[in-house]
Amino acid sequence: MNSTSLPRNVFLCVAAIFITSCGTATFTKTGSDATIESLRSFQLAFIDEFAVPGKKFNATAFNAKVNEGNAKFQQAIADEKFTARRPVLVDLKAQFDADAAHLKSKASRGKITPALASEMKKDVNKIYDHALGR
Amino acid sequence: MPSGGKKKHKKPSRKKSELDSVLDQVGDESAAAAIQEFQDLLVEAKGDTSELIRQNAEELERRLVLLKDRKIDKEDFDYFVENQKRDLRVYVDAQPAQNQERAEKLTLHVLEIAVTKVVPILIMMI
Repeated sequence: MNSTSLPRNVFLCVAAIFITSCGTATFTKTGSDATIESLRSFQLAFIDEFAVPGKKFNATAFNAKVNEGNAKFQQAIADEKFTARRPVLVDLKAQFDADAAHLKSKASRGKITPALASEMKKDVNKIYDHALGR
Repeated sequence: MPSGGKKKHKKPSRKKSELDSVLDQVGDESAAAAIQEFQDLLVEAKGDTSELIRQNAEELERRLVLLKDRKIDKEDFDYFVENQKRDLRVYVDAQPAQNQERAEKLTLHVLEIAVTKVVPILIMMI
């Protein structure tokens, strides 16, 4: 090994590690984005199912769906590799909790309106867009 | 997305909105002053360079009209304001120190005036 090959090898090694780590970060970020999109779909479907004007409130089905949502959010928070993303997921969970509480209060009294459902979905889409940095 | 400093802000338009037409009917002098402050801030927010500030102002106005038209009730309105506040606190806190006061005035403060001054008047009028 001549005197120039050692620094060159070190440089190549550092470059390879950097390139590999960038690829891993991109891959993980893509996975994290997909998780957030999946949570968005779940939350919109939840609103579609229970924010229906005139629909009789089914407490059992509602509670089951809320439990399913809680489990999904907790799993997403536990699995999140980007530590900086965890508070974002916690914020999204807080929005889900607030939506569930408001829907329960309104649906159980038969006070759902089309405008309520539409505005709730707009808020959900907005907070998820912000979570994804859009 | 800074909202203050030395940046130029779009000239707010003073075209009357559906909400303005209702609020302009307020006769009581002390209430009228609060309503005027609210209308001025809303116009300023709707013309701001920050998309989030503009979006917040447009959402607030739309929901006040929905409340006036009884398409949502006060519980719904308060719930949506809490959603907006949750979203905006993060935005305001993320602004550079010199922009925070203006960002807060055009977001959280506008929401506060809407809840404490505008909504009670709107409810009395419908």
